[in-house]
Amino acid sequence: MLLFRSEDHVTNWLAGRPDGATINVAKLAELANAWWGNRLAPDWRPRTREESQSILDELGLTGSFWTLG
Amino acid sequence: MIAWTMDAADLDLRNATYRLFVTLGRAPSAWETATVTGRSEAGVREGWRRLHDAHGLVLDGGEIRMANPFAAQPTPFRVEAAGRSWFANCGWDAFGIGAALHVDSTIYTDCADCHQPLEIHVHGGRPDSEDLVFHVLVPAHAWWNDIGYT
Repeated sequence: MLLFRSEDHVTNWLAGRPDGATINVAKLAELANAWWGNRLAPDWRPRTREESQSILDELGLTGSFWTLG
Repeated sequence: MIAWTMDAADLDLRNATYRLFVTLGRAPSAWETATVTGRSEAGVREGWRRLHDAHGLVLDGGEIRMANPFAAQPTPFRVEAAGRSWFANCGWDAFGIGAALHVDSTIYTDCADCHQPLEIHVHGGRPDSEDLVFHVLVPAHAWWNDIGYT
């Protein structure tokens, strides 16, 4: 889960290995806000798989790559 | 990913551990956590092990390795926020520290390909460098198979 200057740099870094998924950092920030926003809340509870999947789905991170186990 | 459960005592321990991580700017020791929570050091370690098994935090040799998004050891992702500095486990977690604290943050890292230093300012939950990209190599169903690698 790394940061790159551009998609070209991702391609160069992969060096022919199977690709994963790339999103821009604006989307990453949205994801981080939704995923970690309550991490320090006194009433924090573990999310269910469905709750976590909903966060991904609502940000358009769908498909088999983004499907939690 | 399983719907993990934690009992109230372990949730209290988890929350106290996170509070210490934030306050200290580093991972707390079992002794420090025991002192704050009124537990024995052995009791803290037993609770941490249960939390590790429930994905509430990540241990390495009995010590805290990750209390996501915070990393116990130096990583290529350093985050300044609220006048303090922490390390994050990955690019996602680097954005997660400001998100968890609900404050603006600055992320210091580098491009994983060319290693050019990157400094990302996050204001109001939005980065100032939207041309950068984030890459995930491991598919979501396998994230917890080896969370260190992920």
